[in-house]
Amino acid sequence: MITIPYLTALTTYFSYGLLFAFGQIRDLFRKILDWWSADNLQGYAPICLGLEDFYIRRLYLRIQDCFGRPIASAPDAWIDVVERYSNDNNKTLKRTTNINRCLNLGSYNYLGFAASDEYCTPRVFRSLETFSASTCSTCVDGGTTVLHNELEECVAKFVGKPAAVVFGMGYVTNSAILPVLIGKGGLIISDSLNHNSIVNGARGSGATIRVFLHNTPSHLEEVLREQIAEGQPRTHRPWKKIIVVVEGIYSMEGELCKLPEIIAVCKKYKAYTYLDEAHSIGAVGKTGRGVCELLGVDTADVDIMMGTFTKSFGSCGGYIAGSKELIQYLKYTCPAHLYATSISPPAAQQIISAIKVILGEDGSSRGAQKLARIRENSNFFRSELQKMGFEVLGDNDSPIMPIMLYNPAKIPAFSRECLKQNVAIVTVAFPATPLLLARARICISAAHTKEDLIKALEVISQVGDLVGIKYFPAEPKKQQEEDGRLKLD
Amino acid sequence: MSKLYVHAVPPPDLNKNTEWFMYPGVWTTYILILFFSWLVVLSLFGCTPGMAWTIVNLCHFVVTYHFFHWKKGTPFAEDQGIYNGLTWWEQIDNGKQLTRNRKFLTVVPVVLYLIASHTTDYQHPMLALNTLAVFILVVAKFPNMHKVRIFGINGDH
Repeated sequence: MITIPYLTALTTYFSYGLLFAFGQIRDLFRKILDWWSADNLQGYAPICLGLEDFYIRRLYLRIQDCFGRPIASAPDAWIDVVERYSNDNNKTLKRTTNINRCLNLGSYNYLGFAASDEYCTPRVFRSLETFSASTCSTCVDGGTTVLHNELEECVAKFVGKPAAVVFGMGYVTNSAILPVLIGKGGLIISDSLNHNSIVNGARGSGATIRVFLHNTPSHLEEVLREQIAEGQPRTHRPWKKIIVVVEGIYSMEGELCKLPEIIAVCKKYKAYTYLDEAHSIGAVGKTGRGVCELLGVDTADVDIMMGTFTKSFGSCGGYIAGSKELIQYLKYTCPAHLYATSISPPAAQQIISAIKVILGEDGSSRGAQKLARIRENSNFFRSELQKMGFEVLGDNDSPIMPIMLYNPAKIPAFSRECLKQNVAIVTVAFPATPLLLARARICISAAHTKEDLIKALEVISQVGDLVGIKYFPAEPKKQQEEDGRLKLD
Repeated sequence: MSKLYVHAVPPPDLNKNTEWFMYPGVWTTYILILFFSWLVVLSLFGCTPGMAWTIVNLCHFVVTYHFFHWKKGTPFAEDQGIYNGLTWWEQIDNGKQLTRNRKFLTVVPVVLYLIASHTTDYQHPMLALNTLAVFILVVAKFPNMHKVRIFGINGDH
């Protein structure tokens, strides 16, 4: 539930209307000018319809310097950002050789494994020497090394399922698995704010897709009842299979999924559940095992558990964990396993070492310390931001906190002002979020120290005052200061 | 001024081109834009209020007809063209007819017509133009006109 001040909603619509109107007028003039100048492409069809890239050309390119900033170091708590300049009003950006050392509030570095680690990095170098940087083959042909088998066992044990299969890319894990699990005649019910990879995989599967209101188990039950009663479209035969897809932590809201209620609803109506733990595996839960541990759900109740290694493990790739029969079936049919190159061996070793650190199997308590630190950091940062009057989304214990911006003009203002003060923040606009709910998303890491967080809070508070995003009244000052003032009087 | 807050719940609509219309504040913004454009026309042309309402009505006709009933598809490529045969009016609310949003959008041209004809005292050239505008807009919004292309105008190739 997002609370918007009414006036802000009106001004946001008006701003977008104005930007849209200016974009259309510019397109009109461009069409007139192009009609005058002849081109030698007579008879060729246009590559894309004029309307299709309107958003990219007229809205995104204007603030292009806030997105896609190149970096020149590992994405640790502090990061080197390359400066860019533009001579033609942001249509093309040129890199300079200057770099700024900025506080990194944008990378998915939840446990601090993104930079060089004392346990993981030597082992990664050793595996690079033994196995080289790529397996140069698909998993089926010659690309399954002992590391891959060890990784799959490790992941299955960590997540709490009998077996797991690992892929080289996280996005591909969702978009190549869903078409294999379900086809025409099946039903996919997905949360309205699911990630683009799930939407893509669902569209590619050919199954019917229905959407339920974000994180609302009662609406999920309504949709399930309606769909089971109606059956397949036109023929009204019963559905071959129903899969409900939800995420552990929603990356744009920072909210946790209401997993126990959703599992209860799915069990009642005998639908399969698919849990995408891209952001929650390794980052939440007492021992880092994800939302199931945090919310007390038995992993045997979730049919398919998916996750990625990019966020908490400092590597790349994704996994699917489930029953032995399911994983064996996937290994025979999934195109990402049969035709795509297997995960790079050093990356696999990084994941194995990271899991060992988290579980404490490396002989130290660094894993438990990291988990405790990220929880403390997130709760501290979130409560301080809320006290300052920002509108911050997300539940407690979640390391993702989006700060709402709303107006399209505040997106580049916030981003550029923060960069001037050496804080690197990621702002998210359409189409990753709904059109009107633009936000700045902060990802807290276990590598951030208290001083880093306090500096970030100062900068954000200053920039927030300048840009005008403190939509809620700030909390009154502390009791001690009031007593001090009374004494002076 | 004490802040009025509204709650926004993301609607279960996969089409990002039309989902923005389901948030609170859209209707008010639409009405306020019409009112302020009337004030702007009055200040720019220095005409009678009735003439200004007629101008607003006709511009509203051209703009809304072009964007709601003529332009097809979505302004971004992620949809991969699944809505390329549908105008914006046919896309909203997932194609469901007679929802609250659709009823509101049908009433607005009629109210504009009434205001414009009343303030011009139903005089001859303005009345004909206003009536033509409201007739085309309201007929285009009928549920029976869903996906209908008269004489193949604006149809797919």
